[in-house]
Amino acid sequence: MLKRFLSERPLRLPHIRPYVPRPSDPSIFWFNSERDDIVAEVVKRICAAHEPDRGRLEIALNDAAFHEIRRLEKQRDEEARDRLGYWRSMIRRIGKMDDTEQRRVLDTIVTNMTRDVAGNFDPRVYRFARRAIPRLIGGVMEPRRLATAAAEPLERILKVQGDLEHLRALQNEGSLVFVPTHSSNLDSIVLSQALEISGLPPVVYGAGKNLFTNPIISFFMHNLGAYRVDRRIRVGLYKDILKLYSQVMIERGYHSLFFPGGTRSRSGMIERRLKLGLLGSAVEAFTTNQVRRVDRPVWFVPTTINYALVLEAETLIKDWLMEEGQARYIIEDDEFSRIDRWFTFFRKMVGMRSACTIRFGEPIDPFGNRVGTGGQSLTPTGRAIDPGGYVEHRGVPVVDPVRDAAYTRELGEVLGKRYEQDTVLMSTQVVAHVLFRDLVQSSPGMDLFARLRLRGEIGLDLQSLYRELGEARDRLVALEAKGRVRTSEVVKEDSPAELLERALTFWNGYHDSTAATLEGDRVVLGDPALLLYYQNRLVPFAEDIANPEQLRAACEIANLGVHR
Amino acid sequence: MTLRVGVVGAGGFGRGIALASARHGHDVVLWSRRQVELPDPIRMSTDMTDMRDCDLVFLAVPARHAVGVAEQLGEAVDGRHSIVHVSRGLIGSELQTITQVIREKTVCRRLGALAGPLVADALAEGRPSGAILGTGFPELTSMVRETLGRGELRIYHTSDVVGVELASATVGFLTVVLAYAQEVGVEPSTLAVLATRGMVEVSRIGQTLGAQESTFMGLAGLGDLIAAVAGDDRPEFRLGRALAQGVKLTSAVGEAGAYVEGIEVARHLMEHARRVGLPTPISSTFVAVTEGSMSSEDAIEALMERRVGQE
Repeated sequence: MLKRFLSERPLRLPHIRPYVPRPSDPSIFWFNSERDDIVAEVVKRICAAHEPDRGRLEIALNDAAFHEIRRLEKQRDEEARDRLGYWRSMIRRIGKMDDTEQRRVLDTIVTNMTRDVAGNFDPRVYRFARRAIPRLIGGVMEPRRLATAAAEPLERILKVQGDLEHLRALQNEGSLVFVPTHSSNLDSIVLSQALEISGLPPVVYGAGKNLFTNPIISFFMHNLGAYRVDRRIRVGLYKDILKLYSQVMIERGYHSLFFPGGTRSRSGMIERRLKLGLLGSAVEAFTTNQVRRVDRPVWFVPTTINYALVLEAETLIKDWLMEEGQARYIIEDDEFSRIDRWFTFFRKMVGMRSACTIRFGEPIDPFGNRVGTGGQSLTPTGRAIDPGGYVEHRGVPVVDPVRDAAYTRELGEVLGKRYEQDTVLMSTQVVAHVLFRDLVQSSPGMDLFARLRLRGEIGLDLQSLYRELGEARDRLVALEAKGRVRTSEVVKEDSPAELLERALTFWNGYHDSTAATLEGDRVVLGDPALLLYYQNRLVPFAEDIANPEQLRAACEIANLGVHR
Repeated sequence: MTLRVGVVGAGGFGRGIALASARHGHDVVLWSRRQVELPDPIRMSTDMTDMRDCDLVFLAVPARHAVGVAEQLGEAVDGRHSIVHVSRGLIGSELQTITQVIREKTVCRRLGALAGPLVADALAEGRPSGAILGTGFPELTSMVRETLGRGELRIYHTSDVVGVELASATVGFLTVVLAYAQEVGVEPSTLAVLATRGMVEVSRIGQTLGAQESTFMGLAGLGDLIAAVAGDDRPEFRLGRALAQGVKLTSAVGEAGAYVEGIEVARHLMEHARRVGLPTPISSTFVAVTEGSMSSEDAIEALMERRVGQE
C-alpha cells in the first residue's frame, strides 16, 4: 500500500516561496517552470505522429490496452483493481469509436503516461543532498563521526579521473549526455556525487520505478529531476514517450545521463552490445535542433564506473550463469535492497584506498568525433568540422529517422570501444583474472560450468602466483601506455603480495561465498563464479597479458566475450 | 539530379566507375597519384582536396593502399560526404575492414561497401550486371543507384556491411582454391563440394566478426564466386592455376598480373579461427599447399578423409 502510494505520489516539500533560478544555476534549476511545457510538447509530438493515420492510431490504442490488461492481470494488486476495468472497457470500444473519440482517448493516455514519467526538481532537496549524501556515507562507515563527518571518507573511496576542465568548459555551451557503464544500482548515486565533487552540473536521468518504492530513495530521486521508468509497462506508446521525453530534455539543454547497457552488466564484462533507444533520442535531439536552426550542440561523455567490490556481484553473476540475465529484467531481491549489505559494503570500501574510480572519458559529438575545448568537432588530425553536415541531405538539414538510427548504431560501436579504453582495472579484477586463468589452465577440456563446480579443489603455489600477478600487471601497464586500457594506482603501485592481500580483504567478509583463501604457502580457489565475475572485466585483454604457456587458457577466456 | 562524384584510384574499377557515372550525366572527378588519360567529360586530378566538393566519393584502391589514401582523403572530407569502397581485401591480422579504416582515418560516417559479381569492364561499357551495396544508410543506396545503376546495373542493398566486406575478401581466396583444384583435375562435383563447404567455413568465421550467414550465401559471397569460376578472368583464378602448375607462390603472384590478397587474408582468417576455436580444414589445407608443405594429392586425401557432418 505504502509502496504504491510512494510510487504513484512521491513526496514533495511544500512551496512557501517559489525559488527563482539565477543565471549561474545549472539548467536543471529551470526544470519546474518548464515541466508542463515539456509534458505538453511530448504529448503534442506523440499524438501528431499517430493522429493522421487511423490505422496506426487504432493499432497504438489496441497495443496499449492489450499490454496493460496483460500486465494488470498478472499484478493482481490495487492498481489492477483501479485500472483493469478502464482498459477492458476501452479495448471493447476502440473499433466503434469515431476519429475524434480515438484522438481524445490517445491524448488522455499519452498525457497520463507522460505525467507519470516526468520528474520534479527541488533546489532545496538538491542542496540538502549535496551536503547530506557524503555525510551519510561517512556516517555509515564511521558512526561516531555522524554528527561532524565531512566528505573525507567518501573522497577516500571515490576517485574521479578525466579532463574535468574540458567538461566544465562545455557545460554552458551545449547539452552534455553522460553515458556510463553500469555495474550496480549504486551507480547513479555514485555518479551524481562524482559530478558534484568535479564541479560538473547535475543531470536528469531515468530511474526504474522499483527504486521509487524505497521511501528515502524515492524522495531524493523524485525531487532531483529523475524521471520514472516503469519497466513492467510494455506498451509501444510508453516506450515512445520515454524516448521523446529524453529527447526533448536534451533539445532544451538539460544535461542528461543514461546507461546505454540498459541493465547492470550481469557478467561483469565491459558492455559492448548497447541498447540504442535512448542513445538514439540524443542523436535525434541534435538533428531536431539543427533543423530548427537552434545552435545547441549535443556531446556524449563516455564514462566508466569501476568498483573494486561490487555490491550485487553474487546475484548478478548467478543471474548471468542461469542465462536469465535478459529475461529477469528487474531483480528486486538483490543486495541493493538489503540495508545490512549496504553497511558491510561501505565499511569494506572505506578501509581501502580508491575503491571506486569514475573516469569521465573524452567527450565526443553524436558522430563519434572528438570535441575541442571550444566545443568544435574535430577530425582525427585536429581539423574543425561542422557536425551539422551529417544531417544534411543535399545541403539542407533534414530529420531522417533511418539515417539517425544508422548514426546511433555507429555511435554505439564507438562507445563500446571507448569503454574498453577508459576502463580502469581494479586490484580485485586483476587478481581474479590471474586466479581464474590458472583454474582454466589446470582443468583442460572442461567446460565453464564444470569449472564452476571446482570449489576448493584447486590450490596454487603462492610464489608462482606472485610471479604471474607481477607479469600480468606489467603487461597491463604496457597496454595502458598504448592507450588500450587503464589501471588503478593501486594496481600500478602495489607489490603482487599486496595486490593479492588487498583483493582477499575486499572479497572475504563481504561476499557470502569465499573467492579464495590463503592456506600456508598456497592460495585455494573458493567460489569460481565470483572469480569469474571479477575477472570478466579483463576478457578483452586476456590474450594480450598472457605468456605463451598461458595463451590457451587466455584464448578460452577471451572467447567468453565473442558474443558479448 | 546531377551529383558531384569523386573517384579515388585509376585502376580498372576506378575507371569503370568514373565512366559509368559520367555516362549517367554526373559531374565526375578522378584522383590518381599520377596523370592518366581519361575521356571527356571526366576531370583528372592529382590533388585530393578536389574531393571536397563531391557529394559521393568512390574509393577504388587495393586494400594495401587503403590506409594511406584514406588518410589523405580524411583531410578533404567531412560529415556531408558519403564514401563507397570497392576493395576486396582486409587489413592486417586484426582483419580490419576497409570501412573500419575509413571510419578511423576520416570523419565520414555515411559509408558503404560495393561488392558482388561486378567487373570493371561491364561497368565501363554499361553491360547488364549486378552488385550488392552494404551500408546502414538507405539514402546512400539511392545515390549509388542514381550514379551507376540506371537500368543496366542492378544494385541490391544490405545493412550487413561487415558481411559484405568479409564475404568479398574471402571469395578471392576461395577462387584461388577452386582454380587450383580445377587445374589439378578435380571433377565438377568435387569442386561444388569444395566451393560450398569453403563458403560455409568462411561464413562461420565471418559470423564471429559480426557478419550474417545469409550475406555469404548471397551476391557478395556465392554470387561472386560463381562469376569467378564461370571465368570472368580474375587474377585470383590465374594465381590458382599457376600454383597448380607447380609455380612457386612468389612467381605465381607475378604471373597472375595483379596484386592478389586472397592468400594473406586466408592466413589471417585461420589465425582468427584458431583463437576463437573454429575448425578451418579447407583454408588450412590450402595454405599448406601454397607454402609447399603439402602436395595436392595429399591435400585432397586429407580433406576427403575428414569426418562427414551435418549440413
